Order: sequence, then C-alpha cells, then structure tokens
Amino acid sequence: MDFQGINDRLLVLHAPGLLGADEPRPPDPADKKDKGRSGDPYVLVDPQQLVPFLEVCRDDERLRFELLVDLTATDPAVDDEQLWINVALLSVTHRHRLSIKCQLPKADPVLPSTTPVYRASQWHERECAEMFGITFAGHPDPRHMLLPDDWVGHPLRKDYEFPKEYHGISCE
Amino acid sequence: MALLENSFEENVLTTKVDWLINWARLSSIWPMTFGLACCAIEMMAVGAAHHDIDRFGAGAFRATPRQADLMIVAGTVNFKMGDRIKRLYDQMPSPKYVMAMGACATGGGPYYKYGYTVMKGVDRIVPVDVYIAGCPPRPEALLEGLMKLQEKIRNSSVVRKPARTA
Repeated sequence: MDFQGINDRLLVLHAPGLLGADEPRPPDPADKKDKGRSGDPYVLVDPQQLVPFLEVCRDDERLRFELLVDLTATDPAVDDEQLWINVALLSVTHRHRLSIKCQLPKADPVLPSTTPVYRASQWHERECAEMFGITFAGHPDPRHMLLPDDWVGHPLRKDYEFPKEYHGISCE
Repeated sequence: MALLENSFEENVLTTKVDWLINWARLSSIWPMTFGLACCAIEMMAVGAAHHDIDRFGAGAFRATPRQADLMIVAGTVNFKMGDRIKRLYDQMPSPKYVMAMGACATGGGPYYKYGYTVMKGVDRIVPVDVYIAGCPPRPEALLEGLMKLQEKIRNSSVVRKPARTA
C-alpha cells in the first residue's frame, strides 16, 4: 500500500490520536519564499495516544506493521518549544512503510513507553531518554544506553552545554 | 677487560646486568589484546603475516592485562572507557609501557572540538611512553613506534643513578 492508502485505512479505522498527514510537495511558483517540502510523507499523532495508535498499526489485517525500524527524536532549534518524536514502521507482509511523528513540549517531555507494543523500542527509548531528556513512562529498564550512568545533561539538545570536566579529568 | 681477557674456560660469557635485563625486556614485549576503534584494525594488520610484529618479539598478544607488558591504546578513548583503561593499566605488572596509537589516543583527534564524551588524549589517565601519529597510522608507523619503545628500554638502567651532588 502507498502512503495515501495507509492514511485512508487509518482514517477508516478511526486510529486513536491521528491528527493529520503531511506529504512532500514542490515549491509554489506563485510564492517565491515557499521552498516546498522534501522527505517522506508522515502522519502526525498525539503523543499521549501513540501506544494505542501503534497497536492499531500492528494488529490491523491490511496494515500489519510487524517491525519497529526506528524510534528517535529531534530538537529543531534552541528557541523551539517542541521536540519531535519520529517513529518508522515496516510491514514485511505488505512491503510498506510508515513514518509517524509526534510533537512533545520541551518543558515537560513525558511519553508513555511503546515497549508493550514493540519490544524493539526498548533500546531506542533508552537512547532517546539520555540524549534528549525525554521520560518514557513505564519503560521496563530505564538505564542509560551509551553515556556513563552519572552523566549530566542531554547531549543532543540544542541548548546542551559541554562539560568542563568529568571525574576530575579536564574536557578542554 | 684486559684483566679478564683469556682468563675463563670456554662457554662463559661476560655481560652487564643492565644489558642483559634490557635485552630480555625489549625482545619480548607482549602487548595486550585490546582495541577501541579503527586503529585496532591496523594493529591487527601488524599482528598478521604481512607486517608480522613477531619479528620484534611482540607478537604474543595476551588476553589478560596480568600477562602483558605493553598496552597499545588503539582508538578513540571516551570517558566511559577511560575508567576501564585506568583499571586495566593498574592490573598490568611492572615494568609496563603504554603506546598512544593514532590521533584520538594522542589528543582527541577529530573529536577534539565537538566530542563531548571523548577524552582529549589518553595521557590524562595513564603515562604514555610512545605517541604514534596518523589517523589511523600505517602498520609501518606502529612498528616504528615499537622500535622507539625498544630503544627507550635499551637505554634504561636497573641501577639507581648516583645522587647528584650540588
């Protein structure tokens, strides 16, 4: 199924938390400032409804997204008040993919853990948690993934400040 | 020597203690099996048949620090690994030597500016005897580093130097 088909199917199913779809488009010739949009089409989902949404994606006969390929986050800019969560799904049965995005407020980035639906997301969520400071509520193993356990700060946040020293070793 | 000349039977060899000990040490520097990044691939090439580090007596890569004389820090050292490297170094028996192989182990390398978790040189946690430049260094460069280390050992002495009088 192509993106249009998947989106239509999600609408038919009344998938919980579905806010809309965004597709790439060429620049508008009438508006010189408009650059269009490149990249993949995606569906925008309410972060608090992400878990039931993924459940629908996984279990529906026509969608059958068996694999969670990626779960990551993006911090667009320092003065932006939102973080983005990006999820990529793949269906081996139907050979189609889906990109899902959620917006999370930077002030309180809490998201229910998606591990009950896809166990593959465990490590992805741990990495997201340490790199962006996102809390995944109900994660079964919320330790650091890559950084040392006592690391301060979230390195992939745009407002991250590099440490001056670590365990008495200068970082400069 | 004139006093000793022709005064022994056959099969007797005279030498200096320093020379003998240094010869023994520098001819069998056993490195630790230990690689951190792409430099380790070059180190493996040095261990293999073409470059053959065993020609210098340093081909016995030991799988435990307690049997090793030389730690070749081959790769990027980050802070999380730094604690482990320090511990491995402490577990090695004396005399022990450290080689910083490549730009990362020498001074952070390409991660110097934005590598928030990379240690800017392994010499911040362990004493380094030989630095090898390159990213990664050619196998010949590692052999050159080993020869430099052998030279350093050759010039060391077990005898305490006499105290300098003012």
